[in-house]
Amino acid sequence: MKISTTRFGDINIDESRVIRMKRGMLGFEHLKKYVLLTQDGETPFWWFQSVEDGSVAFVLINPFAIDPEYEPVISDVEAQSLEVASSEDVVLFSVVTIHSDPFTVTANLRAPIMINAKKMLAEQIVLVDPDYPVRHTITENSVALEAQEKADSIPSVSAP
Amino acid sequence: MLILTRKLGETIRIGNEIKITILDANRTQIKVGIDAPPAITVHREEVYRMIRDQNVMAAEAGHDDSVGQSLSHVWNRLKKSKEDCE
Repeated sequence: MKISTTRFGDINIDESRVIRMKRGMLGFEHLKKYVLLTQDGETPFWWFQSVEDGSVAFVLINPFAIDPEYEPVISDVEAQSLEVASSEDVVLFSVVTIHSDPFTVTANLRAPIMINAKKMLAEQIVLVDPDYPVRHTITENSVALEAQEKADSIPSVSAP
Repeated sequence: MLILTRKLGETIRIGNEIKITILDANRTQIKVGIDAPPAITVHREEVYRMIRDQNVMAAEAGHDDSVGQSLSHVWNRLKKSKEDCE
């Protein structure tokens, strides 16, 4: 299938690469289908591109890469809603925001996106733990560039 | 909206499993206790609003041209500081 995106132009994706959300992202509940895009394989950033609205895309980062002590508690109910059979299938991402003035990059550690890579189901989960900030500043020293491998297990598409 | 008046210590039930009890009240604040099964997540409204607002800002990446540049910029700085450490 072909999708038209503002950022990447027209991209061809296989239907099997579409990630489905039951609830959708908070504030974007009408959008339920996304595709995970990688960029040149080298940056720690991923793109979560809406299939239904080409102008909507989120930048994602592996939260464990920016906070090695990140320990989100995911309830059984959330896991069940994503039909998780094994924790091996679960990959977490944080939504990144780029602020221009002053220039900062933050990641949302309070509401990670949980993806079941096997079933291609995803949900944004609001953690009960209030200590995880919605805006966690990413600094040069805070990114572990190695902590990437697991995210590579999700079928994604190379961004043009 | 259903509006009920309750006294201190009194409870409202929602369905069979959710209980909301008024624990304390003064002129500006009310303290409520919530009993709900683990399947029900309970958050302050502000948390949702904060996350929704953050998502709306983050989604601009899909159509804001400066984001790609910013990301490369951040990435280069990250790589550089990494190299400097080694």
